[in-house]
Amino acid sequence: MSEWVKVGSAGEVPDGEVTAFSAGDRQIAIANVEGDLHAFDELCTHQQCSLAEGELEGTTIECACHGSMFDVTSGEAIGGPAVDPLGVYQVKEEDGELRVLVEEE
Amino acid sequence: MTTFVVVGAGEAGGTAAATLREEGFDGEIVLIGAEPMAPYERPPLSKEYLRGESDHVFVRPPEWYGEHAIRTRFGTRAERVNVEDSVVELEGGERVPYDQVVIATGSRNRRPPIPGLELPGVFDLRFAPNADAIKEAAENATKAVLVGMGFIGAEVTASLRQLGLEATVIEATSTPMERVLGPELGGAIAALHRDHGVEMIFNDGAERFEGDGRFEAMVTREGRRIEGDFAVVGVGVEPVTEVAGDGVPVDNGIPVDATLRTAVENVWAVGDVARHDHPVFGPIRVEHFDNALKMGERVAKNMLGAGAVFDDAHWFWSDQYDAKIEMAGFATQWDDMVVRGSIEDRSFSAFLLKDGQLLSTFSMNRKFDVRRSMPLISARLRPEREQLADPELDLRTLRPPKE
Repeated sequence: MSEWVKVGSAGEVPDGEVTAFSAGDRQIAIANVEGDLHAFDELCTHQQCSLAEGELEGTTIECACHGSMFDVTSGEAIGGPAVDPLGVYQVKEEDGELRVLVEEE
Repeated sequence: MTTFVVVGAGEAGGTAAATLREEGFDGEIVLIGAEPMAPYERPPLSKEYLRGESDHVFVRPPEWYGEHAIRTRFGTRAERVNVEDSVVELEGGERVPYDQVVIATGSRNRRPPIPGLELPGVFDLRFAPNADAIKEAAENATKAVLVGMGFIGAEVTASLRQLGLEATVIEATSTPMERVLGPELGGAIAALHRDHGVEMIFNDGAERFEGDGRFEAMVTREGRRIEGDFAVVGVGVEPVTEVAGDGVPVDNGIPVDATLRTAVENVWAVGDVARHDHPVFGPIRVEHFDNALKMGERVAKNMLGAGAVFDDAHWFWSDQYDAKIEMAGFATQWDDMVVRGSIEDRSFSAFLLKDGQLLSTFSMNRKFDVRRSMPLISARLRPEREQLADPELDLRTLRPPKE
């Protein structure tokens, strides 16, 4: 089962920014790439630094700690020391809310 | 079947072998390393791992190599790359033939001829077992003596202070990393350690280590006697080039062209051992993690025919206490420094220039400036001093337009 979980308010993530949210016990980052929202695991798969602290450039997020790079649309590790991909999630803005689709454990 | 051999299984060698497979090479890959462990990251050894906060971080999971049909010979020293026969000669006499080979043998710690250096309780740090030994010594100790305040020495000092030990450091110059950073930035690092209770002695060096069967004290050239429970010596590294034999030229490392190829057509070199003909900096040997990783990736692609120049601006980080330090580029003879932010408040970036050209950027607790400046360094830009000094100016806006 999966369900849409409210993590924040619509419009909360400005264009070109990445923000961290909690969805239950998951830490999720949401990036705004020219109006398109992309949700992914907040913690880098290399050494668990917060990717919300990282640099978003186009659809690539670069970890501020050690330079791991991920494609925010697929979660794929595309550069730097990280090997494992990030989990990615569907995200939408609806009824003034920012919502992420998460699997129930 | 075509066989590619990688000699040396650290960050550069492990990444090269893995990238060859990930890029679709379907021939045989042999990864040879003197260490018994699968390739692991060394940066944590002076930081999180030393403090017991993390376990080893592997370049790829140890089982990954077998799963991807990479033949590994860990715990085996390669003695020579024999370019006449195109074979790698291993200790014990085994010969591994290759079509192409990468030398990624890295560097080893300098061992200066200081009497008492071999005493138990005098450590240095390069490999995982070195970190284990220091960690174990720190468990029952109250005071450490450190020789050398380069980045490794400074990180070990910080970690030992964080573990609650007293620390005295001796450094030959008048500030830490003075040759690279100059006195002002070196002074910022000294201030950081002073505020964390480190006793620092500058312009002095270790004359000898004393102890009855085990380290008890260091005597300095100026005649100081500094007691402690153990000592850690960190005075730089030298490239491990013996494997080049007489077939591959050696000159402060193994010279490679801009594409990482040695003077021998099917022999490449990467990582600490490679003296790379860098398009911006000229011939340079770099001893940093990120360079090892990126060279490993690049050489694999070039072995498969990409033929691309390696022009990375070089980047590293150093975590000391709660300070995040980063540096990119390379500048030995800069003539101008522009600072944005405040050195005193430990939130600043310093841009090192020569004849107006940005060569290197150093930062403390300003997370984006260093990496944003790398494309500017690679493009040999001459930014305005006012632009560099403006903390609000996003360095990405200075990038040359893409072709």
